[in-house]
Amino acid sequence: MGIPYFPGCTLHVKAKELDDSTRAALAALGVELAELPEWTCCGTVFPLAQNNYMGMVASARILSNAAKQGDGRLVTVCSFCYHVLKRVNFAIKNNDEARTKLKEYLEEDYDGGLSLLHPLELLRDEVGFDALRNRVGERLKGVKVACYYGCMLSRPAREMDFGAPENPTIMEEFVEALGAEPVDFPGKTKCCGSYQVLNEHELVAGRVKDIFKAASLCGSQVIITSCPLCRFNLDTFGEAENRSKIPVLYFTQLLGIALEIPIDRLGLAGQDGDPKPLLREA
Amino acid sequence: MTRVEMTLQVKEISGQNPFLCMQCGLCSAGCTGRGIMDMLPRQVMRLIQFGNAQVLDNRSIWMCTTCLTCTARCPRGIDIARVMEALRTINLRRGDGVLAPEDLAAEFLAEIPQMALTSAFRKLSA
Ligand code: SF4
Ligand code: SF4
Repeated sequence: MGIPYFPGCTLHVKAKELDDSTRAALAALGVELAELPEWTCCGTVFPLAQNNYMGMVASARILSNAAKQGDGRLVTVCSFCYHVLKRVNFAIKNNDEARTKLKEYLEEDYDGGLSLLHPLELLRDEVGFDALRNRVGERLKGVKVACYYGCMLSRPAREMDFGAPENPTIMEEFVEALGAEPVDFPGKTKCCGSYQVLNEHELVAGRVKDIFKAASLCGSQVIITSCPLCRFNLDTFGEAENRSKIPVLYFTQLLGIALEIPIDRLGLAGQDGDPKPLLREA
Repeated sequence: MTRVEMTLQVKEISGQNPFLCMQCGLCSAGCTGRGIMDMLPRQVMRLIQFGNAQVLDNRSIWMCTTCLTCTARCPRGIDIARVMEALRTINLRRGDGVLAPEDLAAEFLAEIPQMALTSAFRKLSA
């Protein structure tokens, strides 16, 4: 029995390589994920208006069903899914009105007991960064990596519990464990413009330009992310020259490269921006 | 809507007290949308304090990406992202959104990740 896993709607279609590389890399480290037997979209954004419990129902249903797996944990990798599920879980656990209302909507008795885990946390707490360091060898030695968290993983700090709201460090610790070199990247928790890609291209283009500029000034050779929307915005709005100099990868793809998993299992064939410098000896 | 009513509605929907704002501007300085907003978050807060309904009509509330940078930085502990959402919510409840499916190009829709569609429509469409 693997750890219950919620892929989310984007990972089954547009970000299949995030799903594939997450499963492959964790499996290579002895961590099996078991996709939930039934799931829906999480709703993608956390409702910020008070008492908007309708906006939480989809996530609450997913959490309540996941709790029935009996493991006590739920893993999800997409930054949006992780953000929403974790905040809804926090609301169910800590807000009596939210808990009561959602119980009534769902006709289920879930009280927020699940622990929501991002694969970075699994790598730190289940696999262990030391064990990872011993496992990967020197394949990524000297590769300079910009850890791009974006806006969803670490804010709001109290609910997300993912490190400092504008300076989390777990991804840098992960990169160190891979034998690569995390750069001091000032754009790490800046927003890429997010869903404004549908409404205001200009905003996204400006943000993406700044993020590449910051990454380039600190000497990055690759940007890593766990968000399909960050990835899409950076790939789509980054200038071609920036993209080929600094490709954008999912952190799980970088992990897969370090673990010498064949690139077709990591969704790296046909990658926009060339990951080959990372594959030196492959 | 009177001035008092508008401020009260924002207060109720956001769960935040706009009168805590001391106009320091930290929220504006770090705002993701600041480059293209007509009114920065600090100014939005000021108009709410005045009960000025113009704040419901400004472009900025639709440029916000709910990135929570302002929320993380406000020294007065105001969750400004919730205030921006309250202003959108008042509009959306009247049926006034900014995003319509028919305005989006089909080729673009075929490319973008699902999560972008769901989130944009949840935040920006009535
Ligand atoms: S950071 Fe807070 S106190 Fe300062 S202007 Fe913005 S809302 Fe007001
Ligand atoms: S949440 Fe909205 S208002 Fe606040 S910093 Fe982000 S874009 Fe600006």
